[in-house]
Amino acid sequence: MVSISTSVGDIRLSNPVMLASGILDETSGSMKRALESGAAIAVTKSIGSSERKGYPTPVVSVIATGMLNAVGLANPGIDSFSEEFSNFPVKEKVAVSIFGKDTEEFLYLARRVEGLGFKILELNLSCPHVAGVGSEIGQDPDLVEDIIRELKSRTNLQIWAKLTPSITNIVTIAKAAEKADAYVLINTVKATGVDIYARQFLLSNKIGGYSGPGIKPIALRAVYDVRKESEKDIIGVGGINDWNDAVEFFLLGASAVQVGTGLYYRDYGIYDNINAGIARYLEDEGFSSLDDIIGLMVKS
Amino acid sequence: MNFSVIKEIVNENDSIFTIRFDSVMVAKPGQFLMVWVPGVKEVPMSLSSIGDDFAITFKVFGESTKKLASMKKGERMFYRGPYGNPYPEPEGKTAYVAGGTGLASLLPLIRKYKGDVYTGARTRNDLFLLDDDFRIATEDGSLGFRGNVVDLFVKEEDEYDTVYVCGPEAMMRSLLDRMHREKHGNVYFSLERLMKCGIGICDSCSVNGYRVCKEGTVFTYEQLKKMDEFGVYRRSGSGKIELIAKVQ
Repeated sequence: MVSISTSVGDIRLSNPVMLASGILDETSGSMKRALESGAAIAVTKSIGSSERKGYPTPVVSVIATGMLNAVGLANPGIDSFSEEFSNFPVKEKVAVSIFGKDTEEFLYLARRVEGLGFKILELNLSCPHVAGVGSEIGQDPDLVEDIIRELKSRTNLQIWAKLTPSITNIVTIAKAAEKADAYVLINTVKATGVDIYARQFLLSNKIGGYSGPGIKPIALRAVYDVRKESEKDIIGVGGINDWNDAVEFFLLGASAVQVGTGLYYRDYGIYDNINAGIARYLEDEGFSSLDDIIGLMVKS
Repeated sequence: MNFSVIKEIVNENDSIFTIRFDSVMVAKPGQFLMVWVPGVKEVPMSLSSIGDDFAITFKVFGESTKKLASMKKGERMFYRGPYGNPYPEPEGKTAYVAGGTGLASLLPLIRKYKGDVYTGARTRNDLFLLDDDFRIATEDGSLGFRGNVVDLFVKEEDEYDTVYVCGPEAMMRSLLDRMHREKHGNVYFSLERLMKCGIGICDSCSVNGYRVCKEGTVFTYEQLKKMDEFGVYRRSGSGKIELIAKVQ
C-alpha cells in the first residue's frame, strides 16, 4: 500500500484531506463527525473575540457552478467557543480559525486558543463579505506581515495563513505572510448573484463568497503562482469534489487539501473517496508515496 | 429559487395562517421548504398539504411570517426545496401527536393514513384545523383534556403500533423520556431547529453532529435516545449553545 501521509509545517498527517473552515464546523458534534469520517484535520468556523449573529437569511445560495454564501462570520465568540471545546477529545486534529481587525485582536485570540491546548491556528485573512476584517485585512501586506510576526514570536502555535484570491497578485500577500508555517489557498472569491423573478440579490448581504467547482481553476492558479515563488507548504482549497481534483492540487504544489462545499455534493463520504482515490492513483501511476507528486509539475 | 402563485390565504385562528399554492414539485409528507420573503428573510416551513393542493401552515412569529400572512392571492411566493426526509409509512394502528404548530407537518400524513390524532396547545384559541375526532389537550383546560398533549397521549401509548410526533422540542423530549413501550421500532419525531442553509452545510441545525435539515427532520426513537443535546440544548444564530426550557 502506498503512503498518503504528508506534512504541513511541523504537523505530520496520516492523510492529506482536511475539513475547510466555514462548513459543518460550528458545533463540536460535527467537528467530531468530520474527524471520524476520515478528515486528517478539521478547521473550525472562524472565531472572533465576541459573539456575532451573522447576516439574515438567505446566507447560502446554490448556483449552477457552485455556491454563494454570506454567512457573515456568525460565531459564538471566543468565550463560548472555549466552553464548548475545552474538553474536545482530539485537539491535535483541530485547527482553530480566527479573525480580527488588528494585530492585538489576533494576538488576544491566538493566546486564548493556545491556552485551550490547541496547536494549530488558521488566520482568516480572506473572508470576502464582512467590513474591517477578513479580506480587508488580507489585502494589506504590512498588516499581514505584522500580525504573523507577532503571532510567531509570542506563541508556539503553528500558523496557517488563509489568503484571498480577490486581489491583483496573491504572491504579494503570500510574501507578506512568509513567516507563517503554511499557506491556505484560497478562500471564497468575492461575488454576487441575482434572482431575476424576485429582482433581488440571492444573498441578504448582496455580496458574498463564491465556492465550489467553478473556483477550482482559480485556486489551482493561486497554488501554482505561490509555489513558483515559495517553498513553504501550501494547503489547497477551492472546488475539490473528488480525488482527481485533489491530485491536480498536489501536482501544482499543495501538500494537503481542504474540502468545504464538496460536502454539499459528496457529504461525509468525501474523505474516504479522496483518500482511497489518491492511493489508487499513486499505485496505478507507479509512485510510492504522495510526496512523489507534490509539486511535480513545478519543480524545474 | 422557485416561486408559486398564491391561490388562497386562510386565517386558521388569530395567529395561524395557511397559504395554498399550485406547484409541480414532488414532495412527501414531512418534507419542508425554505420559504423566501424577499427583503426580509428565508425561513423553513413544513408542507401542510401535498399533491393537487400544496400548502404551508404557520404561526405569525416574526417579520417574515408577518409579511407572508399579509400577502395576497395572485402574488408570488418564493421558495426552494422540498428538503429533508419524509416520514416513513405507518404500520398497524397509528397515532399522531402534535404540539402547537407541529400539527402542520403531520397533516399530509393524517389525510393519507388513518389514525388517532392527539393535539395540544396552551388554550382553545391556539388550536387550529381541528376535526371532530381529534383528541385535544389544553394547558388551561379551555377545551378537552386539561394538561399537555404528552400527559394525554402516554396513557394510551400501548394501543399504537406506529407513532408520529411533531411539536416543540421540549415537549418531544418529554414524550421520548416518558414512553414506556417495549418496542420503539415505529416511533418517529420530526424536529424543528434554527436553520440557515436547509441543505446540510451550515451546521446551524445540528444536534449531536446530526443535521436536522439533511439527516432529519424525521428521526427515530432510537436515534434520539442517543442524542443528549435533543430537548436540552439548542443553538442561537451565532452558534452559541442555549438551554431549552423544560416542560413542567
